[in-house]
Amino acid sequence: MLRALGGWIALTPELPAKLLFGRHVWDCAQHADLWGRRLPELRAPAQQSEPANDRMVKFADLVESVEGPRETIERVAGVYRVLKPHLITVYARHLASANPIYEPPTRRILERCLEEERRHAAAGAIVLARLTRDETARERAKVWEQRLLSVLAEAGGVTGDVPAPLIDAAVLAESPHAVKQDLVEIPPDFDPAVLEADLAMAVDAYRRALETGDVEAATALVEPPARARVMAEHDRLGDQVVGSRVVALAAIGHQRLVKVRLEGGRVIGYVQLRWAPSKTGWRIAAADLVRVEPVDVSPAL
Amino acid sequence: MERPIAYDKLAREDRFVRMRARDVAEIKIAQGMPPFPDLSSRDSMRERVHGILVGELQAMEGAGRTVCDFPDAPWEFTMDMARQVWDESRHVETYLGLLEHLGGRLGEFPETTILWRCACAEDAAARVAGVNRGLEGLACDVFNQLIHIAGKIGDPIVAQSVDYVLADEITHVRMGSRWLNELTRGDPERRRKAIEFQETIDERFNLGGTRQDGQHDVVPISIAREARKLAGFTDEEIERLVKSTQRSQVY
Repeated sequence: MLRALGGWIALTPELPAKLLFGRHVWDCAQHADLWGRRLPELRAPAQQSEPANDRMVKFADLVESVEGPRETIERVAGVYRVLKPHLITVYARHLASANPIYEPPTRRILERCLEEERRHAAAGAIVLARLTRDETARERAKVWEQRLLSVLAEAGGVTGDVPAPLIDAAVLAESPHAVKQDLVEIPPDFDPAVLEADLAMAVDAYRRALETGDVEAATALVEPPARARVMAEHDRLGDQVVGSRVVALAAIGHQRLVKVRLEGGRVIGYVQLRWAPSKTGWRIAAADLVRVEPVDVSPAL
Repeated sequence: MERPIAYDKLAREDRFVRMRARDVAEIKIAQGMPPFPDLSSRDSMRERVHGILVGELQAMEGAGRTVCDFPDAPWEFTMDMARQVWDESRHVETYLGLLEHLGGRLGEFPETTILWRCACAEDAAARVAGVNRGLEGLACDVFNQLIHIAGKIGDPIVAQSVDYVLADEITHVRMGSRWLNELTRGDPERRRKAIEFQETIDERFNLGGTRQDGQHDVVPISIAREARKLAGFTDEEIERLVKSTQRSQVY
């Protein structure tokens, strides 16, 4: 889990999930370290672990398998709806049965891991709720959760002998106050209103020209020396634009980089247009088609 | 999991605009501006802070990849890198706050991925040499100067926040020095390559003469001699860096 979360940070576009993973990597490392140090005290080699069985390896591989930029829901659901709640359940049962006279060292580790894993799971639930605002997304999370749970059940849980249920909702509770430390407040989504009024007018005119296939009107908004290159960049989309919207704006000195999402019948493209101020108004100095993907996998991030 | 990943897999929300550092610099120069934002005004400070923010984001992502990419490295190495991930995630939060404090907006300036590319080295020793000693060393320079200038213009929020971040960066450089030594013990060729990689990064991040040895308010990026010494750089290493800034003419 530690290595999966660490590796996923770079692969996850959504900032709330990216920063959630970033927050939890260190806690997970400390938990693994505590267990690893406890092992030699129980006459086993330090910092060495092995999976309970091959099915547990299959479960871990499946959890880690969702690495695509559009699979954040599965990443969060896998760790925060299945793996961590399962660990909490196992830890809580272990703590309830660990002898308070003989096993205080184990009990202390369990208490700490329980507290932090509960916090993690609760924070993950909040982030997952943000990622699954529509029914389709919620269904995706649910399907993945069920698939993982079924493989985990085949393995008998992390230890290979965990009795059902593998997740006990009664032991998961965490206070909202404690969870706050795991969540980073993210600035609101991009608002196209940040474009200067005259730039917004020029960009809107350009978008309309693309959507209506009015090449002449689109070309008129491009600086003459750049026209051939900019139009060639649009051609790379390979689809007729039927809709578009501005998704980002960045400044380079007095010039502006405007990222536009171009929606075609088959593909979605993202083009970065560099606009420069001129005596005749804003004109496009360069265009760069930075991403193209099929329509069915392209929700806005 | 795929290990390591190609550098173009770095994932971002749509609100970010990504561009090559060289292209950004050329477009600015063509407008008669310095290639790298100075700290002469609140606007340029905002741009610098935005640049640091995306740098922290990439540092978190890079350290996360190091946790993932080297399962056979010593466990203590993984622990240090995991700690760094947490530190960088807190730095992102700090700089999100500072950006808001300065009236900025996430995505207001292009993101360059030069830092992330450096964090994609295939060898763990090269990665810690390049990232922890090269890039985190640069962070010591940039943050030290930011603290000084924020203090001078009477902005205690920036000065104090960045001071806490600087303390972490010094720790990260120390981690880099430790692991450069430990991972290359008994393997001088690996060590030579790792140091060479760090020097390439130092050279690149001299930013065409932007980083210099001089007063905080005189040079665009000043070398933080004291912070670097605290981080474990030797006098010889600092002098070598100063010399490299004198011959660096390209960004």
